[in-house]
Amino acid sequence: MKRGCFLFLGMGIFVCFFSGVSAEERNDSVKVDSSEIYGDTPPEYLPFGRFTKPYKTFFLEPLEYTGYGRHIPEPEHVDTVRIGFIGPIMKTVSVAIGGPSHEEPLGVKMLQGARMAIEEANARGGYRGKTPYELMVHNDNGLWGASGSEIIDMAYKENVWAILGTIDGSNSHIAIRVALKIEIPMMNTGDTDPTFIETNIPWVFRNITDDRQMCYLLADFAFKKIGLRRVAALRAGNRYGRMSIDEFRDGATRLGYPFVTELQYKVGDTDFIPQLQRIQALKADGVITYGNAYESALILKQMREMGMDQWFLGSDRMVTQEFLDIVGENPGKVAAGYPYDPHSEDPLYLQFCNDFHDRFGEEPETYAIHAYEGMKMIIEAIEKAGLNRALIRDVLAEMTAQPYHSVTGEKIFDAVFTSRTPALLAILEKGKFNFYRYNEIFDENLSWGG
Amino acid sequence: MQPLVILFLITLLPLFGWSEDDQPIQVNLAGEPYVYTEWETFTTELTNGALINDHIFFVKTDGDRVWIGTEEGLVLYEKGKWKSWTMEDGLPWKVIVGIAISPKTGDVWLALFGGGLARFSAGRFDHFHQLNSGLVNDVVYAVTIEGDNVWAATTAGTSCFNTVTGEWAIYTEKNAPMEEIWCYNVDAADGKVYVAAWGGGILEWDVETKIWKDYRDPDKEMEIDLYRDDGLIHIITTSASYVDKILWASTYFGMSRYDGRHWRGYMDHDSGLPSSFINFLRGRSGTSCYACTDKGLGVLIDFESDTWVRYNRDTEDAKTWTAHVMVGNQIIKSLPTNLNLPNHFLICVDFQGDDVWFGTGHGLARGMGNGYWNGLKEIKSAHNAGE
Repeated sequence: MKRGCFLFLGMGIFVCFFSGVSAEERNDSVKVDSSEIYGDTPPEYLPFGRFTKPYKTFFLEPLEYTGYGRHIPEPEHVDTVRIGFIGPIMKTVSVAIGGPSHEEPLGVKMLQGARMAIEEANARGGYRGKTPYELMVHNDNGLWGASGSEIIDMAYKENVWAILGTIDGSNSHIAIRVALKIEIPMMNTGDTDPTFIETNIPWVFRNITDDRQMCYLLADFAFKKIGLRRVAALRAGNRYGRMSIDEFRDGATRLGYPFVTELQYKVGDTDFIPQLQRIQALKADGVITYGNAYESALILKQMREMGMDQWFLGSDRMVTQEFLDIVGENPGKVAAGYPYDPHSEDPLYLQFCNDFHDRFGEEPETYAIHAYEGMKMIIEAIEKAGLNRALIRDVLAEMTAQPYHSVTGEKIFDAVFTSRTPALLAILEKGKFNFYRYNEIFDENLSWGG
Repeated sequence: MQPLVILFLITLLPLFGWSEDDQPIQVNLAGEPYVYTEWETFTTELTNGALINDHIFFVKTDGDRVWIGTEEGLVLYEKGKWKSWTMEDGLPWKVIVGIAISPKTGDVWLALFGGGLARFSAGRFDHFHQLNSGLVNDVVYAVTIEGDNVWAATTAGTSCFNTVTGEWAIYTEKNAPMEEIWCYNVDAADGKVYVAAWGGGILEWDVETKIWKDYRDPDKEMEIDLYRDDGLIHIITTSASYVDKILWASTYFGMSRYDGRHWRGYMDHDSGLPSSFINFLRGRSGTSCYACTDKGLGVLIDFESDTWVRYNRDTEDAKTWTAHVMVGNQIIKSLPTNLNLPNHFLICVDFQGDDVWFGTGHGLARGMGNGYWNGLKEIKSAHNAGE
């Protein structure tokens, strides 16, 4: 192989030398086979893709668990089949999220979705028609890495068989490191941090489309469809803001349009005028934010009040009624990535929405629907595998090896058990978000200016 | 094609050969490595319950003593005799994932997974946790001794306890170059303390200057390793071992060696590592390192000649393990061993004189180093080398 590479290299150097092609003109990407690409990354967004092939690309082979756990016998009797839940459901002040907590509304929705899946399973008779399922609920308060202790309590004191959670990127990372040591399956349904599953832990599953997918779509829209060239970033200073914008930033740079600036704010800030004045002075033609709905909406509102009419791009967290209520009647041009189609007419989805409304008197949203779906996957795995953590892991791995049809539609997972289901683009039009797939965005008949 | 191009290609042929296949180049051993073929194995069943639990998280030798951290408590093996401590005996928490022995006092320090830190001294357990000490988090992954200091790697930073003054220091992203604070392992030697921070690379603490330095993956990308030897293989590090002023570091993506100037990276496809998923490693010298992987034990015997011995079960139903002597990723010869542990998911390793101990997800093993030698021994016959 090496000989072939040397030969190829020698030919390349020779041909370039004699053909008089300058380095500047040789800017096409290095050819990479699609089987060597991780995360459905478009070739133009591959790291160092214009320069060289990496020595090694990770996450292409399905993760294996090679330990002893499969040999542990099923207990002779359990009163209930316990499944753990960890999510931000109570208010606190968190070091990890950089100030007062703000994720409880999302965590409560997540708990509703998980609880509904448990109730449905118990209505069918519980575990193999005999033993009820029991949800062991733990708050993720994010204080000094407390999520790790919660996982330990669930695994060693409550003897849960699998765990669902959580949302915050830092707390999720802490939780899965503990899960790896204990050897217990974890299903994540709410953390969209791309690096969450880039750790080679064979016990971790994620059923929500992540910010890698959402950023690629958003970058394609920003730079290829509407032709932005000078995007400025104003994002939350916490881990969510830092990590989730990563792929958009890298994509912008790799396309040749690096951010004109990247500014931060503290979670809970309400005045963004100083940052926006700097962005205005830099003549940015678009602004991207990564943060929660509240701050994102205030940024947009203040932009428009300052006469800034640029495209405003952001994360799925701003696709909410709260965002719409704050921004008012003239939000201007707004687009965000989104992990599923909330206007789907899939019968499973419609049934879920009806049932959820009947149960809680509210509409489901991203965190509820993915938690419901993730908990259903866990229950299905337990039913098939029995009460053995390693075998439950194996069944979940099998389930993600092929498309899995659930309430958010057909889920596609990759070798590291995370959803690679294509993201959608939410565009704010006439006071509401409309959702577009990739091919619709690039339909020549559709235009959003630019 | 231009005649000049054809001419150039022809001139290249003698240099690189013209081979359609990818046959590896035949390599020979530079010397004979020591191979552990004789092993003792210990499980709860084999020891009639003396080894109280089969899930072995840590093994630490101290002279004739071997301290073992398990999922159910602490075990001591000394000259063929067993002793154990569980929560009924005053152990603050049952899951022990790290052990360190103070050379000054003989105190045994325990990293309790979810239970803080414990000092076992004079038959008594003292408990240090988030609410009664400066321990930054109760999920402690590792503990080590540096002078009078006890260092604890926790899931939310690293704590340092001075056993003489009683002072605690906490290191997080606030006062150390921790991109992430999820500390997984800590090791100390020769005036340095090394912390393996999951998502934060390797952090080096200089005891004299009290200054941190960080080592990270230079390509800054999670999904690739851009060049083999450009630095730390990956930022998700799992352990560090500093010996003979050489840093060995493990990740779930391979192993790195750093001599202060040059890095060398190892993965399963380019070395004798059974797998790139490395739970833990321990350097035996500046040229030799033992890596605990999810598919067996990978031993770099000699750095210069890239000589390895890989111990694993060749098939799922193999009764015993096989030792493969390798140069780079090529097997030169294979030797049977009597090692019969049922699982080769290795979690920990330590040395006891010429012997080696390792713990797995199901049982403990001791390699008997009868006639052990360091590094490589001169090969007596060409027959041996070529086999």
